[in-house]
Amino acid sequence: MKRNEIMEKIKAGFPGADAEPRFSNQIHAAVPAAQITGFITYLKQMDFKHLVNITCVDWIEENQFEVVYNVWSYEHHIHITVKSVIDRTKPELQSISSLWPAAQVYEQEIHEMFGVVFLGNPDLGPLFLHNWLDLPPLRKDFNAEEYSGAAYGFVETDTAEATCIVPMEEN
Amino acid sequence: MSEMLTVSRQDIMDGRYERVLDWFRSRSMWMLYYCTGCGAIELPPTMTSRFDMERFGIGPMATPRQADILLITGYISVKTLKRVVRTYDQMPEPKWVVGFGSCPINGGIYWNSYATINHLEKYIPIDLSIAGCMPRPQAVLSGLTRLMEQVKKGEAVGYKKYKMNYDWYKKNQDEVLYRTEPVLGGSHEAE
Amino acid sequence: MDSMMAFSELTELTRNDKYVQYELFFGPNFPGMHGNFGYILDVAGSTITKVRPNPGLLHRGFEKLMEQKLWLQNLSLIPRICVPDPDPNEVAYCSAVEKIMGIDIPERAKFIRTITLELSRITSLLMGMGALGAMMGHYTVMYRMMQDRDRVLDMFEWLTGARVYHIYNTIGGVSRDLPEGWIEKTEAVLDELEGNIPEWDKLLFDNPVIHTRLTGIGPLTEEEAVQYGIVGPSLRASGSTADVRKDDPYAAYPYLDFEIPRTGGGDALNRAIQVRLEFAESIKLVKKALHMIPEGDFKIKLGNSLKLIVPKGDAYARVESSKGEYGYYIVSNGGVKPYRVSVRGPSLPGGLALCHKHLPGMLIDDVAIWMASFAVCPPDFDR
Repeated sequence: MKRNEIMEKIKAGFPGADAEPRFSNQIHAAVPAAQITGFITYLKQMDFKHLVNITCVDWIEENQFEVVYNVWSYEHHIHITVKSVIDRTKPELQSISSLWPAAQVYEQEIHEMFGVVFLGNPDLGPLFLHNWLDLPPLRKDFNAEEYSGAAYGFVETDTAEATCIVPMEEN
Repeated sequence: MSEMLTVSRQDIMDGRYERVLDWFRSRSMWMLYYCTGCGAIELPPTMTSRFDMERFGIGPMATPRQADILLITGYISVKTLKRVVRTYDQMPEPKWVVGFGSCPINGGIYWNSYATINHLEKYIPIDLSIAGCMPRPQAVLSGLTRLMEQVKKGEAVGYKKYKMNYDWYKKNQDEVLYRTEPVLGGSHEAE
Repeated sequence: MDSMMAFSELTELTRNDKYVQYELFFGPNFPGMHGNFGYILDVAGSTITKVRPNPGLLHRGFEKLMEQKLWLQNLSLIPRICVPDPDPNEVAYCSAVEKIMGIDIPERAKFIRTITLELSRITSLLMGMGALGAMMGHYTVMYRMMQDRDRVLDMFEWLTGARVYHIYNTIGGVSRDLPEGWIEKTEAVLDELEGNIPEWDKLLFDNPVIHTRLTGIGPLTEEEAVQYGIVGPSLRASGSTADVRKDDPYAAYPYLDFEIPRTGGGDALNRAIQVRLEFAESIKLVKKALHMIPEGDFKIKLGNSLKLIVPKGDAYARVESSKGEYGYYIVSNGGVKPYRVSVRGPSLPGGLALCHKHLPGMLIDDVAIWMASFAVCPPDFDR
């Protein structure tokens, strides 16, 4: 299938979706959050069998999260970027972990880094972080520099201090 | 023939022969196989035929219970710090810590990262730091031979420092590892 | 003898679940572990019953760090994501940014990028093969591979000034031209590596121990591999022909004529053979590219690097690394810093998803071999 045909099929199957071509072999698609599982399943049936990754963008000024799915077709050699916007104050989205096993891990990571809840994902427990109590770190309102200074000591001043504090008694 | 020198177990425990022992220790050092960070990529070349660490009497060791050197190869995330501290506690004395690269000194390129600690010396004592990102095998060898010199002279006493100031180190470790309050206040909203 | 336990009593103990079933921390402090990563295994006897991956030991928050740095400053950060194979990071990042900016780099830069990518691939494949040998207790292979790898690193050092983190590819091309005499010397090094191949074929593939050890570990059909998201040599060892260099060409690959080797079968032995074939192909590819480098600029001028602004937009760019598809998804809001960078590491599906399918039922001894054969590289999923 050529890129035009794929776009026509997308528009035929999901009139609410918005698809446009970009670069030489990519398609950009925007889908309402309610339809995301159906849309990705539809793409998978069209031979988009490789889930590249799932990621999330925090648009704090618009007060929304944009969850991004990248899929690739080994048959057509076309890449589709699917975007779905959800409300930042109540970030919930249907999980696609039943479609690909790796999707479970990507969703778990997004949950940890942004706080997005994927309904239907079997495990959303902590993955990368140790005993994390603050805001999810990849949110735009989390200040990593301030956190690093407060939690682990500021870099400029503390080195001298740390060496002074330890009393050294030779025996 | 004059009388033979006899050394009792008590003599050694009293530290009467430390200088002799230090000389022996400096010539056979086992380095723990624990890749805490990216610097570990320069260790295989250091160990294998081109740079050949073993000619200085330093070899890799698989278990902390038989290792002398803990090489911190690069940045330490909080999750790793827990393992590093436990590993260090498992190692028998005398033991030495070598900070490898810029990150254990002051956080290096990750100084503003939320996941990595900035000053390793607040949590365990460092005997020697090898600067650079990342240090070349030659720098690693130069650092390790410097450590051998220090051990021979009895100057590398980080483990004694650790024992003496254990409460201070323990307090710093617990502060980072077993946090009960969010650092910046704004907590994860209930889900 | 009555103070000791009778033999029958001991065998009785092994039938008690309490003494047979336990939890084993495989890594991070373990010589068979690749990097700083761990699996928590539930074990019965020496057979694994359940696995829980424990990633995050190498987590540095790269995606946040990149939002705090300028577009060009990030170049010093990204090679650190994948340590054995750093150049695909640089090229994927740069091509994603170039896609958003809509710029095309000079031909000469494309060829130089291809050469650095393939050389980096060679070093990483050598490291992978060496690690696989070492996991089977065959340390000679490791020593041999490290020696060959160091020769390529010397060429990198001459070209870029660094052994491991090259920071050489930049937005709009590469940061400097090839030094004089570099091409000839590199060819000599590649000839030497090619000459060594028969010797280590003998060491690895002519060895009945290795055949016995690798056969049947981690069997994977093409369909399963695609479903799990396995990419690169591991996918091609299952019979697929997918390769980013052919399917979604970038840099100078469209101008170069090369074959993608493919083996069927899909177990650890086939993956080892696949890596060995790709290694030989990469050497040929670099040699071809070295002869074809056109004259011209190696970089386009983008003005003050501290004020570089990338227009609003987003793009995904992928590169074939030694472990497979390496991708960067970059979002810009038209500022001097990236708004969001997301990294797709090739070993996440293998290391964190496929392990649930493959490891249960396997012996503890085979876990390290399984990891080496899928080239699971923890830094690229921990980030």
